[in-house]
Amino acid sequence: MKISDFEKLKNEGTEKLPSEERRRFLRFGLAVTGVFLGGSVLSLTSARNASGVQEKKSAAGKFPYKPHYTMVLRQNRCIDCERCMEACVRTNHVPSYGYRTTIMEQNRAAGDDRDPLFMPVLCNHCNRPPCVRVCPTTATYKDKETGIVMMDYKRCIGCKTCMAACPYNARYFNEETRAVDKCNFCFDTRLSKGKKLTACAEACPADVRIFGELTDENSEAYQLIHKPDRKVWVLRPETGAMPNVFYIND
Amino acid sequence: MKIGNTKARKFFNLLLFSLVLLVFCSQASGQDEEDGGSIIFTKPVKAVIFEHSIHTEQGLECDSCHDGMFEMEAGVAEQNDDFTMASLYEGNYCGGCHDGDTAFASNTRCTACHIGVKGYERLTGGTKDSGGGH
Ligand code: HEC
Ligand code: HEC
Ligand code: HEC
Repeated sequence: MKISDFEKLKNEGTEKLPSEERRRFLRFGLAVTGVFLGGSVLSLTSARNASGVQEKKSAAGKFPYKPHYTMVLRQNRCIDCERCMEACVRTNHVPSYGYRTTIMEQNRAAGDDRDPLFMPVLCNHCNRPPCVRVCPTTATYKDKETGIVMMDYKRCIGCKTCMAACPYNARYFNEETRAVDKCNFCFDTRLSKGKKLTACAEACPADVRIFGELTDENSEAYQLIHKPDRKVWVLRPETGAMPNVFYIND
Repeated sequence: MKIGNTKARKFFNLLLFSLVLLVFCSQASGQDEEDGGSIIFTKPVKAVIFEHSIHTEQGLECDSCHDGMFEMEAGVAEQNDDFTMASLYEGNYCGGCHDGDTAFASNTRCTACHIGVKGYERLTGGTKDSGGGH
């Protein structure tokens, strides 16, 4: 399903979700809070009491991470001012032909350009990252500590297989470094230097990008996605990548 | 086109005249001449659209906005430090009407007013491709 089709879907609630599917998600410590028509868009949140299950070795490796970074995007507040993109470019020296994060636009109905939807997109730092699986040189890897999907530029041979594998189109080839580049939640430029927020989250004037920890109950991000009855969704859950970027409204 | 007889030439002249008239009329009656047209704010954020036509079609008089709330000059409000959402929520500027009473509230439907960088570039003919939309 195309990302642009998502908003047209109605939330059906969890009842119609096959129990097998439900169990599969619960295994990864995620509570299913809603499902869209046809079961293509699942709404997931990390389950409070699932840590016992998570400690078992799973296909997702170590989960949850500590800290387990997440970004919650309050989609309907995004006004496409693109300050996040500017801040990202400045902080991470992103060339004009590429991006680590972008804003997509979609109309609510064909030919109707009133009240468009703006959707911020970035690397989803998946628990089962397809890009990591296909990289022949382990240049891209899931950081053991934080779960951030990182790049070791020196190991990258520029084969671009990861770019094709990424369900979110969140990677680009940097002509200068001759390596693939992507969002790393500003790990090298900010987090490792003691800053608490990514550049994009700090720059957002509309409180759209809430960066935080999935396992920290005091984190705003945690609280936003654990609010009862709140619809939470992820992009392209059908790929089984288990993203750590969540979308909500309001 | 070769114009042979006078009849045809007369017809051609008439056609030309009505064409000119048509162009002239549509320009004179264009919204841009009577009211302030469409105004795009880019400060502090890119970009917010205000369309006079939508508002005058609601039966609003010029005075309901141009009697202290807004100047009849684009770019004036943008010079003020308080041209922000916080100020709108307090009932200033657009918030004077967009309060959930007279018109939809300023803390709803963000993208009714905010057209973003993409909307701005579409309306001003910018060519920047911000990517992403595959
Ligand atoms: C709903 C509010 C509203 C109404 C009603 C309204 N205006 Fe305006 N008008 C504005 C705003 C907002 C601006 C921009 C002011 C600014 O940028 O500081 C503006 C600007 C203008 C400008 C300057 C345009 C430019 O490009 O510099 C003119 C001229 C104008 N209005 C004429 C009118 C006339 C004539 C009417 C009545 C037919 C009218 N307006 C009704 C809100 C309104
Ligand atoms: C004098 C009152 C008044 C002021 C001031 C005013 N508006 Fe409005 N506006 C209205 C009314 C009434 C409507 C139509 C009713 C509705 O949509 O709720 C409207 C509709 C709109 C719409 C159309 C939404 C749609 O349905 O597509 C937009 C966009 C808008 N206003 C933007 C603005 C902006 C931006 C400003 C400030 C620069 C502003 N308005 C100031 C009264 C006002
Ligand atoms: C009625 C029209 C209107 C609506 C609805 C509206 N805005 Fe605004 N907004 C404005 C105007 C006018 C400005 C000032 C001009 C500019 O920045 O271009 C502004 C400025 C802003 C700014 C920059 C200034 C600031 O306050 O920090 C942000 C951020 C913003 N809006 C976010 C939002 C969000 C989020 C929503 C929805 C919850 C929203 N706006 C809904 C009209 C509107």
